Amino acid sequence: MRNEFKSILFLTALIIVAVIISGCTSQQSPQGTTQTVNNTIKIGVIASMSGPASTTGKDIWQSAQLAADEINSQGGVYLKDIGKKALIQLVLGDDESTREGGQKAVSKLITQDKVDLLVGGFSSAVVSAHQAIVADNKIPYIIAGASSTQVSKRKDIDNTYLFYHRPNTDNSAEASLLFLNDTVRPAINSKFGFPDSRPLRVAVVYQDSPFGKGQLDAVNNLTKKLNLPIVVVANASFKMGESDFRTTLTSVKSQNPDVIYAVTFLNELIPLTQQAIRDVGLKTLILSIENNDDPDYYKGVGQVADYSVMESRFSPYAIPNTSTKERTTKFLSDFDTKYQGFAGMMGAATYESVYIAKNAIENAGSTDKVKVKDALSSGSVDQLLETMKDGKIIFSPDTHESKFDLFVSQMRMDNKTNEIRPHIVWPVSLQETSFVLPDWYAPGTT
Amino acid sequence: MEGIITIISQVVFWGLYAGCIYILLATGLNLIFGVMKIVNFAHGEFLMLGTYITFSFFVLSGFNPYVLLCASLPILVVVGIITERLCFRPILGTGKLNEIFVSLGIIYVFQNVVAMLWTDEWKTIQSPYKDITISWGSVQVPLDYFIIIGITICILIGLYLFLHRTSLGRAIRATSQNRKGAMLMGINVEQMDMLTFGIGAGLAGAAGTLWAVSGQVFNPYMGSIPAIKGFAIIIIGGLGSIAGAIVGGLIIGLAENFTSFTLGGAWKDAVSFIILIIVLIVKPTGLFGGKDE
Repeated sequence: MRNEFKSILFLTALIIVAVIISGCTSQQSPQGTTQTVNNTIKIGVIASMSGPASTTGKDIWQSAQLAADEINSQGGVYLKDIGKKALIQLVLGDDESTREGGQKAVSKLITQDKVDLLVGGFSSAVVSAHQAIVADNKIPYIIAGASSTQVSKRKDIDNTYLFYHRPNTDNSAEASLLFLNDTVRPAINSKFGFPDSRPLRVAVVYQDSPFGKGQLDAVNNLTKKLNLPIVVVANASFKMGESDFRTTLTSVKSQNPDVIYAVTFLNELIPLTQQAIRDVGLKTLILSIENNDDPDYYKGVGQVADYSVMESRFSPYAIPNTSTKERTTKFLSDFDTKYQGFAGMMGAATYESVYIAKNAIENAGSTDKVKVKDALSSGSVDQLLETMKDGKIIFSPDTHESKFDLFVSQMRMDNKTNEIRPHIVWPVSLQETSFVLPDWYAPGTT
Repeated sequence: MEGIITIISQVVFWGLYAGCIYILLATGLNLIFGVMKIVNFAHGEFLMLGTYITFSFFVLSGFNPYVLLCASLPILVVVGIITERLCFRPILGTGKLNEIFVSLGIIYVFQNVVAMLWTDEWKTIQSPYKDITISWGSVQVPLDYFIIIGITICILIGLYLFLHRTSLGRAIRATSQNRKGAMLMGINVEQMDMLTFGIGAGLAGAAGTLWAVSGQVFNPYMGSIPAIKGFAIIIIGGLGSIAGAIVGGLIIGLAENFTSFTLGGAWKDAVSFIILIIVLIVKPTGLFGGKDE
């Protein structure tokens, strides 16, 4: 009896302590960002701070902080309604790299934190799961990732408040296909004495996800739509997070492709490239896409990626020589100073998203969600870090997607760093150097 | 025709390589189950720890990563012994549900500790033999895979000799066959539990080293899928049977790769469980399982 009483007493004390501690900690938020400040604009940042995409998540969160700090250091965002500037207060929502985690994070940001606007969002699968919640609550959301057109062209939800600051799968596939047709196909035909009419043989190796399937569909559809002399000789899927591609690549090799079009995440592209060249003995070009343009790729992949090509929109090592160059260099330098590392593509897009939000709120004159949404729909921001079509960030009237000037880089070994480095080879307007077909390259058929 | 044979030879080879990793993982899992009758869902985390220990020693020392098996295997044996002593011993015999929840808890602890120490970024290491290839029939295969298959065979022979030719090994087998009988014969079964758990973890650690050396990427969350497949393998092979784990590992390794070749990589994981269902229907005790398992 006495022991039972002691146990109850102990448990009660434990619960009280837990409640007190949780009460105390609720005053703080991740990274100490939710301190109460008068006249603040709350921007929710959806980032994968845990789980497989946590590297990208940190990039998103840190870049958003960098943008907010820059804006706040200049006094904040001017609100015409109150006639003064308000500071940006970022609130982090960790989607845990999962669909369910994203839904929880977004619900909390909207209902508990009562954010004025949302930015971030990575992975088509994760974003598609929480899009409807944002749409139902009519919160302006600038999505920096989720490239699948299945996300931005959904008919089952109200897209009015959703804005996509990224190229969709059609855009990146189009840039890649045009590069292959303009540059790679003539180079192969010329080097091996093939007739000009010989079509390029492409094998698509894609992640079995909305992102991967979106790219595959885009390649198939655009090849027909643009009437390109490109034949898809193989399409091989793999599960998200796969690290053993040997058999898939062996299967692809049997179809004799000229080029492998790899639709992967970063953690997949490194082993895929190594296994294709080293293990399976493919002597072909590997073309990857923009989401892999990350310092970790250059650090991890090694010499096997020499001469491979990558479609990109933002690169830590290849900055297009346009009006964005100075600001991009400063962004990378500031990021490095603050976080001791490189910002990635998602970081750059989120940094821009915070500025796009600032611009929209200033144009709206308030944080009224309808006015901000209208300002985003009709507004235009000069390109910041990434090179945009016509130098402006403008959301299209139908699907609210911004248009990028995409480029393709070729990797070459850098003896100083002993890592590969990208060099822009396409389009001609941004070209740093010419595309080179390596000596070891062997075309799919003779 | 020659081309098809070449391709099939290559797929068989990748299946054997994948089978080696699975065999080491499943053998350890089966050894633990055979002696302690516990279900350890955290077994994949030992593989993950093996990759990180190899990575750390490789970065710090620059040693040949194969030599680092001499580090990852004993370290994981110690980690296994500590895990058994602190986490499983107190709940042994209190019900399967407790064992399952403890092992699930251990997964999160190991994942978070590794993420804290090494960050959760994907990591990879390069073998010093990465540019050397050897002919295998009509195909050229990197030397690393022959080494990996060779090391796996050596470890399995070593395990066989340990279990059959040493008094400790015989004591482990006796505990596995009849726990009460072993106790009556003066065997300290708790020590055998600890040792078995350590050996099981060590085998998973060796699998982790081979995983890393083969150029596959790893992060703190990579252990779950191999662990689930490890369970499928020991059920297919027969609970508690080392021979079953070896045959099951090879079956799954080959089946996965042939499925990937014919139906595509998206079906790769599914085939393990399709085989599992078929085996459970046809022979519920597994290919090498006794009636009492």
